[in-house]
Amino acid sequence: MAIIPPVPCDQLETNKFQTRMELAQELMVPDTLFLQIMAHAPGYAEALFDAMYQSHTLGNVDHCLKEIIRIRLARLAKDDYFGTLRSKKAFDLGLSEARIEAGCGDFETDTQFSAAEKWALNYAKLMYTQPKKVNAAFYDLGKTLYSEPKIMELGAFIAFHYGLQIFMRTLKILPLAKFEQPI
Amino acid sequence: MDTNPDKIDEKFYDELKQHYTTEEIVELGAFIGFNIGYHTWFGTLGFYPMFTPDGRLVDQEESARIYGDKPISHTKGAIRRASEGLSRSTTIDVAE
Repeated sequence: MAIIPPVPCDQLETNKFQTRMELAQELMVPDTLFLQIMAHAPGYAEALFDAMYQSHTLGNVDHCLKEIIRIRLARLAKDDYFGTLRSKKAFDLGLSEARIEAGCGDFETDTQFSAAEKWALNYAKLMYTQPKKVNAAFYDLGKTLYSEPKIMELGAFIAFHYGLQIFMRTLKILPLAKFEQPI
Repeated sequence: MDTNPDKIDEKFYDELKQHYTTEEIVELGAFIGFNIGYHTWFGTLGFYPMFTPDGRLVDQEESARIYGDKPISHTKGAIRRASEGLSRSTTIDVAE
């Protein structure tokens, strides 16, 4: 039995959840299971889903880069739920599983990533492993590659997604269905 | 959750359910996760509170002097340092 059982879909308030469930089915990150679990605290479910969805799909930082970062963070958090999910939008934009693996690996010497992408990946890598290295010098370098709004967007994205991944890890759940990339 | 998430297992949740509703557990978990994520990030940004413990709006330099290099309890000197700064311009007494 699930640690926190999902709220059945037919018990979700339509005016609060219908559009969000549709968005979850469309993007797949998070999937509808996230909403069904969070729906035990309806206000939290709405706010967290909106923040998660918007931080991933809106803004000015490349969605595919954020998708790689999100998966890298999920692996760091040892969260199988978010680590297994894949953004359908990122796939439609051309993000491959091979590039995700590269971003989750030794990206610093990988020529397929630009200097800006490497800085962003390093930002996510260091934030929860060696936060002292994310210092003024690190941000100075970041400002040569990104505008300050983009750095804030990246930082908030990293903090928000990692935080929820840490929580979801403890619930030991898996996605309802993995988005499979066509071969 | 922050230091040893492996210890938050089914047994831990079973115990939690004796004290809190499922709604409260979800609320607590999300709140804690959110704060784990954001506190570390904010820590890298090197900014300080805009207000002193007694509610004065101060610049970042004075705030850094009041709050110190690391986050501290208001009872560990921040209120005293704030009142010392305040006494330079006014005479409001702030008890610590």
